[in-house]
Order: sequence, then C-alpha cells, then structure tokens
Amino acid sequence: MRAALRVEWLKLRRSRVTLVATILMGLLLPALGLGFYNVAINGGVGALADKAAAFLVGEGWVGYLGLVDQIAAVAVFLGAGVVVAWVFGREHVDRTFASLFALTVPRATIALAKFMVLSVWIVVLAVVIGGVAVFFGVVGGVGPLHAAVVGGATTRLMIIAVSSGLLALTMGYAASVGRGYLPAIAAMSVIIASAQVAVLFGTGGWFPFAVPGLIAVAGAEGAPDLSPAQIGLVPIVALASIWVTTRWWAKTEVV
Amino acid sequence: MTLPLATEDVRRRFGTEKAVDGVDVGVAAGEIHAVVGLNGAGKTTLMRLLLGMLRPDAGRATVLGHDSHRAPPQTWSRVGHLIETPFAYPELTVRENVAAAALLHGHDRRHDSGVDRVIDGFELGHWADRRASTLSSGNRQRLGLASALVHDPSVVVLDEPANSLDPAGVVFVRDLLTDFADRGVAVFVSSHHLDQLARVAHRITVMHRGRVVGTLDPDGVDLEQRFFDLVHRYDLEMGTRS
Repeated sequence: MRAALRVEWLKLRRSRVTLVATILMGLLLPALGLGFYNVAINGGVGALADKAAAFLVGEGWVGYLGLVDQIAAVAVFLGAGVVVAWVFGREHVDRTFASLFALTVPRATIALAKFMVLSVWIVVLAVVIGGVAVFFGVVGGVGPLHAAVVGGATTRLMIIAVSSGLLALTMGYAASVGRGYLPAIAAMSVIIASAQVAVLFGTGGWFPFAVPGLIAVAGAEGAPDLSPAQIGLVPIVALASIWVTTRWWAKTEVV
Repeated sequence: MTLPLATEDVRRRFGTEKAVDGVDVGVAAGEIHAVVGLNGAGKTTLMRLLLGMLRPDAGRATVLGHDSHRAPPQTWSRVGHLIETPFAYPELTVRENVAAAALLHGHDRRHDSGVDRVIDGFELGHWADRRASTLSSGNRQRLGLASALVHDPSVVVLDEPANSLDPAGVVFVRDLLTDFADRGVAVFVSSHHLDQLARVAHRITVMHRGRVVGTLDPDGVDLEQRFFDLVHRYDLEMGTRS
C-alpha cells in the first residue's frame, strides 16, 4: 500500500487539474460568497440582489458564511468530481491502463490509494476554503470576529465541503466503468439535476447528494430538518463507492 | 520443465471475433521468442492473456507456472512488460516515472541509485529531470522501456518495443534483448517489422487471424517473402483471402 500511496500522492501533487481546482475553489467560492453577501446586505436593486437576499440566512458572519455554504455544497461536488474523474479516468484516456497490470502492487490497492490521497486532498481543500473564507470576511469587513460564531460557521462550511467532496468520490466508479472522464462528467450532471428534483419533491433528505445543500440551509425558514440517519448516508455512499470501485479495478480487464 | 511463459490451446473472443484461437506458445529462459503478424493478427491479445490483462475463454496462459489472470502479486516482481502505450505520466519527470515504476514493481527507495543507473543505461540521463510531456515520442518509448525493465525482471514481454524509435534506438533495443537473453531472461516480443527483430530472435512464430500459422527460421533468407507465403497459404486454405 505504501508504494501505491507514494506514487498516487506524487501524481496528484504534480497535476495541473488538482492545482487549478484547489485554487479556483479555494479563492472563488469565498469571493463569490462575499460578493453576493455585499449585494444582498447593501440592498441593491435588480434580480441578482433579490436572489442574493433570498438566500441570506442571517446577518454578519452567519449570513456571509451561509452563502459560501450554499455555493460550496454544489461547487465542491463539481470541482472535486472533476479531479476524481481525472484521477480514475486518466489511465483509460491516456491508454496507459495496461501499465497498471502485472505489477507487484495489485490494482485494487492502486485504486484504494487513489481514494486515500483524494480524501486527504478533500480535507485540505475544505480547510483552505474555510481559512480563505474567514480571511476574506475579515478583509471585507463582514462584522466583528466573535470566535464562537465564526468558529461554528466555519466548521459548518468545512463539514459541507468535506461532505460534497466525499460524495464526489462516487465519480471514481463512473470514470472507471466508463473508462474515461466524460462519463463521470455526465453522471455529475444527472446527479445534480436529480438532487434538485428530490429537494423540490421534499425527499431531498433521503437523497445523499442533496444533503450538503440541505445542511447549508438548515435552520433557515422553511428548510427541512435533517435526521442523523440522513446525514449518515453521505459517508455510507462514499464508502460504498470506494468498495465497488476497488472491486471493479480488481476484476477488470484491458479492453 | 515449466516454461516461464506458456499458453496451451488458449482462446479469447471479442463478440464474434476470435482474437486468439487455440494458440500454443512457450518461451524458455534465455530465449528470445518473437511473434510476428499483420495488424489485428492477435499478437497483442496473446500478450495480454500472458500478462493476466485478459482472462482466457478456454485454454491456459501461464507465467512462471501460475495461471496469469490469478498469479499472486509477488510473481509479477519478476516480470517486466510494455504493451502498446509506455508507462510515462506527463506531469512527472523521467526520474520520477522510473522511480514510480520501480515502486509499483516492488522496489523501494533503497534502489534509487538503481533508478539512475537504468536512466543512464537507456540514454535518458540528459532528460532525467524533465517532465515526460516534453519528451519526443522516441524518448517516451525509451522511458517506457526503462520503466518496464527497472526491476531487473527474469521474464520480459514487449509489444512492438521499437515503435517510434530511430535507427539507433532499434539497434539499442536489439542489443538490449540480446543482453537479456544472455543473462537467462525469457523474452517474448512482437513486431510487424520483420527486420527489426529477426536478427536477434531465436524463434519466430507467425500469427494470422488469431492463430499460429507457422514459424520462420531467424537465420533464413528472404523472411518477408516466407512470411507472406505463410499468411496467404492460410487464407487460401480457409477461403478468407480478400
């Protein structure tokens, strides 16, 4: 396992896809949240201001980070999903998949190593998003920095980012079975549309891919309550996708 | 005696296409066994069967005495292979690629000096710290060969190893194969260019339409003509010549 981890970590560290995704999500999500917050709080006129105000769940840090929460719930799933799809689909697209056969390190171990380094990256990404969000909030003058309030809201943001990132691990299976990135991109589109429909029909709590978005609006007026069982579906789905993907890698052939 | 590489009546279909249709081949230690054939003859599929990349529909493919598709991981520490696309991650340097291949073949950091030795041996020293994405296709092929052979295997399977190489590279590969065989390594190699390999092979098997249709004497004359005679005779016998 150590050999596979070292190789996969090196590949992830050196990839431009990971670097671009980390920078974009780390900077863009808090920046967008701050932009929307300022538009909403300053009572601007127009569709954007109305929309931003509708999503505001409070004032000050709670309102600002609440907006970042809602953006992160979808954006991290998409951004991390692209990275996961690339990590699992690249050898198929590059036609180097055969190189991963007939090795001392079994393919299932390589797949598991890919998931492990991606999980570490997702946690690092969540910390970066949380840290940058606090920094932007301070620089943008969102409000007084009460440790308990900001700490609680930032922790929630990082939990949402990690949850969305863990759900994006399912794209490893889509990219493996589809033998490339594009099937995973298609799967992400279908999942996001399905999550919207599930929320509209009031069953979003039981659709794991809608859970991060519902955590983001939890406590807001009209938002559904989430049970621990519903939240627990997120790690279960992530673990299940790791299991089926590693099984696929163990059994598959070069075609 | 168990041969390092062997197939017994091995068969594999893709849909209705018989990619490999009842093939028996073997490679002894210290032997260079070349398989030649036209595109689509079944050479690559045969090699994939020997390396456990495909499961046979019938028959057996074995490596070091184990059925290839369920050989234990340690078996592969003695096998080196390059099938079609070289092991060359574009974002990694030449040295990092070879070191990664060594790790996946069961070698640890203590062999870092061995990685440099292999890089020098494959005449890649000048590019050692450059990313693989910047290499020419010929040097990428050299990198693929270095990655395939960094762990000093006793069984080698190479599919078209001279692809993309310049004349000097082709000579390099021929010398490499000869050196391996001299050291007792079993070498199974494919090519669709007879001249590239005939000079060093101990045995040449001709594949066509998934079957072994004959053998060529590596020391014989006019190999190309004899190759086409075998292929055309098979097509005439089967009534498949187009």
